[in-house]
Amino acid sequence: MSQPVATRRPAAVRYERIALVDLLDRLLAGGVVISGEVRLSIADVDLVHISLRALISSVSTALEHGSEHS
Amino acid sequence: MTCHCTPAVQVPGRRIDADPESVERGLVCLVLTVVELLRQLMERQALRRVDEGDLTDDQIERIGVTLMALEDRMAELREHFGLDPEDLNLDLGPLGPLLPRA
Amino acid sequence: MADATAVWAYCVADRMAPEWFSHLAGVGEYPVSVVTGGPLAAAVSVVGLAEYGEQALARHLEDLTWLESTARSHHAVVEAVGAHVPVIPMRLATLYRDRDSLGAMLEARQQDFAEALGRVTARTEWGVKVYAVRPEPAATAAGEDHDADRPGAAYLRRRRSQLDASQHAQRAALAGAEEIHASLGQLAVAAGTRAPQAPQLSGQSDPMILNAVYLVEDGESAAFAEAVQRVASLHEPVRVELTGPWPPYSFAFVAEAAPAARQ
Repeated sequence: MSQPVATRRPAAVRYERIALVDLLDRLLAGGVVISGEVRLSIADVDLVHISLRALISSVSTALEHGSEHS
Repeated sequence: MTCHCTPAVQVPGRRIDADPESVERGLVCLVLTVVELLRQLMERQALRRVDEGDLTDDQIERIGVTLMALEDRMAELREHFGLDPEDLNLDLGPLGPLLPRA
Repeated sequence: MADATAVWAYCVADRMAPEWFSHLAGVGEYPVSVVTGGPLAAAVSVVGLAEYGEQALARHLEDLTWLESTARSHHAVVEAVGAHVPVIPMRLATLYRDRDSLGAMLEARQQDFAEALGRVTARTEWGVKVYAVRPEPAATAAGEDHDADRPGAAYLRRRRSQLDASQHAQRAALAGAEEIHASLGQLAVAAGTRAPQAPQLSGQSDPMILNAVYLVEDGESAAFAEAVQRVASLHEPVRVELTGPWPPYSFAFVAEAAPAARQ
């Protein structure tokens, strides 16, 4: 493909290592989940045991209520 | 409802709820949180009564001294179990934490 | 044997080149490859069901060590793709029965993905977290306390002024967070909020009063970062943290379809 690849990432305000909490915040309650007969439904946070849920209860709440999209 | 005393990092392969020490600690945390809640409620109620102005100076003094002693006792208990003030709270999910954070 | 494996999906884009992630180990050290469906392509790993089946996953998800390693591997692939093309990240642990199933899903849902890709093209997600800073405990008003013989009353006075001060500080902090979100939202194409992060996970003792995400045009990113610095200094007593750039996890919304018609 001869399409020029635009510089997608602007100047990074990046830390040495992404904080786990910020990562889990997005990976567990963000991103696309498409179910249907072909999906093994295991991306469900309900499967997470109560002990971990206690730690990331805020994440599972976000899963239930969703993030708002304006 | 979750108590904030559960340790944040799991030993790999070990489930927290199987650890008896942790269960006991969780109970202590829960009990102290409830006691702390009552202490804060009593304190607020005392301040309201003082505001209403129907207490004698002696009564105010007695209430103040009692609450002061209660606060000291709570601090002792927390220290004994190695808990910070922030550890004594209950997360009620959408309702937020049980105790105000300040 | 098809039953022994499943397909872990990292992300979707309108094209995918293996060299983008050939240097990366995927989740569980499985190699990363490409599945196409219609006009779309997904980055995937074929994983063993022994470790990634429903029950195994449920156990693993309780293990923060496993979760961290898996999350970072997943994110690394999403980022690697996002460095080249607009990307729609999949949620962690989104698995498909096999490559054909995933391909069929992509083909069936190409319209929705195209819309999502359009929404995030040339845009970047930034995270802004705002913490209320606990006010310094008010120095005991020594002048007031001439009642050395009435320590109880003095205690009550102290507690009242502490409670008033902390209530005031809380209200000010919350108002500040609202203003921050509103003003930063002006600079973004889309904005949203997430629930505050659990303190045990963030390791922060200051209460988090805003956990916001913004989708910002690439050209506006520098201005956005400057604005974050500006609002941070305007609003005491709060502490503001900027994270990013992120692939658009929070803005990649694609509705779950009704189950596909059975063949």
